[in-house]
Amino acid sequence: MKVLAAGVVPLLLVLHWKHGAGSPLPITPVNATCATRHPCHGNLMNQIKNQLTQLNGSANALFISYYTAQGEPFPNNVDKLCGPNMTDFPPFHANGTEKTKLVELYRMVAYLSASLGNITRDQKILNPGALSLHSKLNTTIDIMRGLLSNVLCRLCNKYRVGHVDVTYGPDTSSKDVFQKKKLGCQLLGTYKQVISVVAQAF
Amino acid sequence: MGVYSWWKQPSWMADNKRMGMTPALPRLLSALTLLHLTAQVHSLKKGAIEDFKCTTNNMQVWDCAWTEPFGISPGTVKEVCFKDRLRSCRRLETTNIKIPALLPGDHEVTINYINGFQSKVTLNEKDVSLFPATPEILSLSADFSTSTLLLKWNDGGSALPHPSNATWEIKVLQNTSAEPIKLVSFNTTLSGKDTVHHWNWTSDLPLECAPHSVGIRWYIDYPRFSGSKGWSDWSLLKTVSWTPNSESIVFPQDKVILAGSDITFCCVSPTKVKFGQIGSTPQTLIHLYGESVAIHIRNISVSENSGTNVVFTTDDNVYGTVVFAGYPPDVPQKLNFETHDFKEIICTWDPGRPTGLVGPRETDYTLFESISGKIIIHKRPDTLTNESYRLVFPVLPDQEIYNFTLTGRNPLGQAESVAIINVTERVAPHVPVSLKLKDINSTVVILFWHLPGNFAKINLLCQIEIRKTNSEQEVRNATLKGAEDSTYLMAVDKLSPYTTYTFRVRCSAETFWKWSKWSNGKRHLTTEAIPSRAPDTWREWSSDGKNLIIYWKPLPMSEANGKILSYNVSCSSDEETRSLSEILDPQHRAEIRLDRHDYIISVVARNSAGPSPPSKIASTEIPNDDIIVEQAVGMGKRIFLSWHHDPNMTCDYVIKWCNSSRSEPCLMDWIKVPSNSTETVIESDQFQSGVRYNFYLYGCTDQGYQLLRSIIGYIEELAPIAAPNFTVEDTSADSILVKWEDVPVEELRGFLRGYLFYFQKGERETPKTRSFETGHSDIKLKNITDISQKTLRIADLQGKTSYHLVLRAYTHGGLGPEKSMFVVTKENSVGLIIAILIPVAVAVIVGVVTSILCYRKREWIKETFYPDIPNPENCKALQFQKSICEGSNALKTLEMNPCTPNNVEVLESRSIVPKIEDTEIISPVAERPGEGSEADPENHVVVSYCPPIIEEEIANPTADEAGGTSQVVYIDVQSMYQPQAKPEEEQDVDPGVVAGYKPQMRLPINPAVEDPTAEDEADKAAGYRPQANVNTWNLVSPDSPRSTDSNSEIVSFGSPCSINSRQFLIPPKDEDSPKSNGGGWSFTNFFQNKPND
Repeated sequence: MKVLAAGVVPLLLVLHWKHGAGSPLPITPVNATCATRHPCHGNLMNQIKNQLTQLNGSANALFISYYTAQGEPFPNNVDKLCGPNMTDFPPFHANGTEKTKLVELYRMVAYLSASLGNITRDQKILNPGALSLHSKLNTTIDIMRGLLSNVLCRLCNKYRVGHVDVTYGPDTSSKDVFQKKKLGCQLLGTYKQVISVVAQAF
Repeated sequence: MGVYSWWKQPSWMADNKRMGMTPALPRLLSALTLLHLTAQVHSLKKGAIEDFKCTTNNMQVWDCAWTEPFGISPGTVKEVCFKDRLRSCRRLETTNIKIPALLPGDHEVTINYINGFQSKVTLNEKDVSLFPATPEILSLSADFSTSTLLLKWNDGGSALPHPSNATWEIKVLQNTSAEPIKLVSFNTTLSGKDTVHHWNWTSDLPLECAPHSVGIRWYIDYPRFSGSKGWSDWSLLKTVSWTPNSESIVFPQDKVILAGSDITFCCVSPTKVKFGQIGSTPQTLIHLYGESVAIHIRNISVSENSGTNVVFTTDDNVYGTVVFAGYPPDVPQKLNFETHDFKEIICTWDPGRPTGLVGPRETDYTLFESISGKIIIHKRPDTLTNESYRLVFPVLPDQEIYNFTLTGRNPLGQAESVAIINVTERVAPHVPVSLKLKDINSTVVILFWHLPGNFAKINLLCQIEIRKTNSEQEVRNATLKGAEDSTYLMAVDKLSPYTTYTFRVRCSAETFWKWSKWSNGKRHLTTEAIPSRAPDTWREWSSDGKNLIIYWKPLPMSEANGKILSYNVSCSSDEETRSLSEILDPQHRAEIRLDRHDYIISVVARNSAGPSPPSKIASTEIPNDDIIVEQAVGMGKRIFLSWHHDPNMTCDYVIKWCNSSRSEPCLMDWIKVPSNSTETVIESDQFQSGVRYNFYLYGCTDQGYQLLRSIIGYIEELAPIAAPNFTVEDTSADSILVKWEDVPVEELRGFLRGYLFYFQKGERETPKTRSFETGHSDIKLKNITDISQKTLRIADLQGKTSYHLVLRAYTHGGLGPEKSMFVVTKENSVGLIIAILIPVAVAVIVGVVTSILCYRKREWIKETFYPDIPNPENCKALQFQKSICEGSNALKTLEMNPCTPNNVEVLESRSIVPKIEDTEIISPVAERPGEGSEADPENHVVVSYCPPIIEEEIANPTADEAGGTSQVVYIDVQSMYQPQAKPEEEQDVDPGVVAGYKPQMRLPINPAVEDPTAEDEADKAAGYRPQANVNTWNLVSPDSPRSTDSNSEIVSFGSPCSINSRQFLIPPKDEDSPKSNGGGWSFTNFFQNKPND
């Protein structure tokens, strides 16, 4: 055991903490199933709140930019074409515990991030000139990636949750253009609605 | 085909059938019936075949069929024989037979029944009908993406004679309806073997919108077949349909169509569709089947980037599709091929009309080079820019000619452009870089630059731009042998020493196509050379005549050929040569102490490259006594000078000039003029208007310079800025002598042309004399053009009169300021004496004449103006009670006692005087306080009661004694009653009336004895107030027996007329009677009082 403690454990720590053996060890030992690539920042919840606030603040503009770029009759039929009636959207319960909310947030953001990736891909083909929309989509995806990382860090560090099962939206690559437009609009409408609830829940 | 029995029907029968009904019609019908019955009898014996018909579907086998004759039961065995080349028979039970196709011509067919009945038919190919076999559809498939049906069938040509023409008819049924939506013909040729045919058809309605069925039939046209031909039967229908999902779907999906075309969209829906729209425009729904509907769009416009949305709205959802309407690619325009480096050929083009399609529907371009067979595909950029349509094709070794085809394709079509180029003629080199310079000498440099690219096969034509600072540019061309990625060099000569140049380079191929862009500029300063000429020198002797001051001008940069570091000055004579120390550059003068001997002064400029040639000048000057100072005026900043040619002057003329106000030695600048010139224009930025300059023209001989002319001049004359000072030298009653001084040259600012002298009457500070510019007629002007005149006498002036004198100097530049002075001429005494004496003499003469006349007429005057007046002392009627004036309430009228007057003159009053109200009256004295104050402020008396009193000034010795200087004021009743009476009216009054009663009294006013109590009481009197305050009454009349001392408190009152007026007449008691009827003072009063005086 002494050999193990003297040789293997530091080696594992060194391999895990890529910054080197000189890095300070976390107070709570890292669970093997809860490995993060980078050390988590302190004050994670504040960062998560800020990111949610940022997403909430930009969601409506993204939504408007999206349906405007799709052409008529989308701007005049937002309720029917972009109604938030997605059935497979991950649920979120604002009155749950922090852990539950974080897990649901992780699922939701993972779902959104993947869907926004599809939307961005589709819109670059469909609307190559809509640079403002592309920029908003990319910015939102970037924030979501950071949010995912922070949520995962929080789950890992505090709740020892290293893995969350996530679901993704349907792949729209094989769908016709109208379906792509409509699904994207529905997703962004749902996102706009849900993100305000989520932002208030944290 | 003719089917006939043994007996042929006579031809006339047919003819009879064609005949019309005649009147013998009943007999004819009876005959026919009989004939028919006869024929039936014969047929039962001989036999007859009805409806014998033959058809074929391949022209090789005839299928013949007939109807059994009457009386023959079906299934009866018979023998059918037909004769072609050979006679052949078959035993049959049926009524049809397939026989090989018979040879052309008539053939007899015999049918023999067992019962002996026999029937014959003549058969010919012409009687055979050709009906092709019913075709069979091999397959029917649908391409839903393109809404295209693909039909396949076999023509079975191997069984048919060939070549034959086959015509196919294809019908398309939509939704299995009876009426085909499409019916087309399709021609083929039968080649003797089975052939599968294809037919494509694109539906306007997407195939998903409804089931589509297809059937075919055909028709064979074999020229050798002489029988009739007909269509085959329709094949069995083949149907294609799209199996709908549970959800409604809109078709077509993501279709790309040509803008301006028509298109139909359908919505296959299990529920009712309420609306259909394209974009935001509603469309009319077309019912298809079930709940499926369609909309038809005509002339669709170009779509936005994301396509045109077409949506159908149901009760609970919105379904849609996107259509992309645009254009096929335009022919690539402005197709250009060029190479910058012989490594790549750059292909650029303009796509022309926008297609309106983006993303995956955007135009793809490919560049195909037919000689090498190489293809380059255009990579679509993420964002379109001007550089987007650009392809790079590699330069192939050993290939100069290229045949390019640029093709653009999109879902709606394609277009291409072709170009054949020689790459050596399409060279536009890159920008030359890395410019470097190397000095060879002061006028030659070598320019190096690098040009990337493989130009080994061609010659380069390069241009070098040489630009001097602030001057025009020069471009030189050079042809260079090309090399691969090499540095090129070129010598640039004919430059100026010590000059900064900016060099730029650009290149092209010798076979010109395009210049490269200019390289960046490279600045370079050429090296120095010795100065190209000697400095321009001049000399001046100092004011004391002991030192010679040498001046020289700095050489211009173009002649200095470098930075001048110093100047060497030396002087030489016959005996010696002296060299002074070096004088550094900024200093351009040197002072040498010399005697008056002849010296040659030499000046040399030196820069880092060496000294300049020397400049020499003689120290002394050739005298010239014949010098006249002339005047000149320039224009602008220039002055023109000319002189006569002097053959003695062998070298240059020199003109020097200086400011005349400067002290000697005065030198501003000088210029040298070639000896053959006789005029020059001197121009200098130092020249100023209004400044006097001295110009000296020197001629140059071998012995030295000689002054030829001296000129004073102005570049521009201005008006003087100072007025001449002038004084009055002498003044008389009618003239003034004025003297003035010169205006200083600095203040004159031009050549003095004269003076203007103005004068006019006027006092100092009066507006009239303040300015002379108004052109008053009384202003006198003298223009003094003799500038040497310094005095002026002004004559014909008035005595004891102030004159305003003004003097101004003027030049051609204008009038200077004025200097003014006020002078008063002396008094004229003779006139004054005359002016006094004449009025005095006239007054004396008038007085004397008047006195003589009065003396001679004194009796008349007395009677007229001074008649005798009865003595009132004899009248007892006039007695006043003592208390008359002691109280206003006790005021009473006179008590009338009977008296016997000595003489009574009755006066009648003609005018009625208005009733006097007891009001306050302001005396005339009070109305003119100014006059009163001037007379004597202490005696200012205001009388303000009623009735008014006549004002009269009378010398009263008693009053004078009592109160010293006092003023007696009379207030005339008349002046109050008739204050506005005119003098003319007074003259109309009857003298008798005028001389009547006048209520007047003398009021000696003495403040020292004034009783305020009495005044108050008098003020309280509201009723009639007899003339005055009785307390102040003095009985001074010498005629009054009760006259007492004026100081006595006991005042006797008699009649007022007894006091001081003999004219007093008792006024009538009646208030309505006139109280006064006379004017004021009258000439009568004057004479009346005179004797008492």
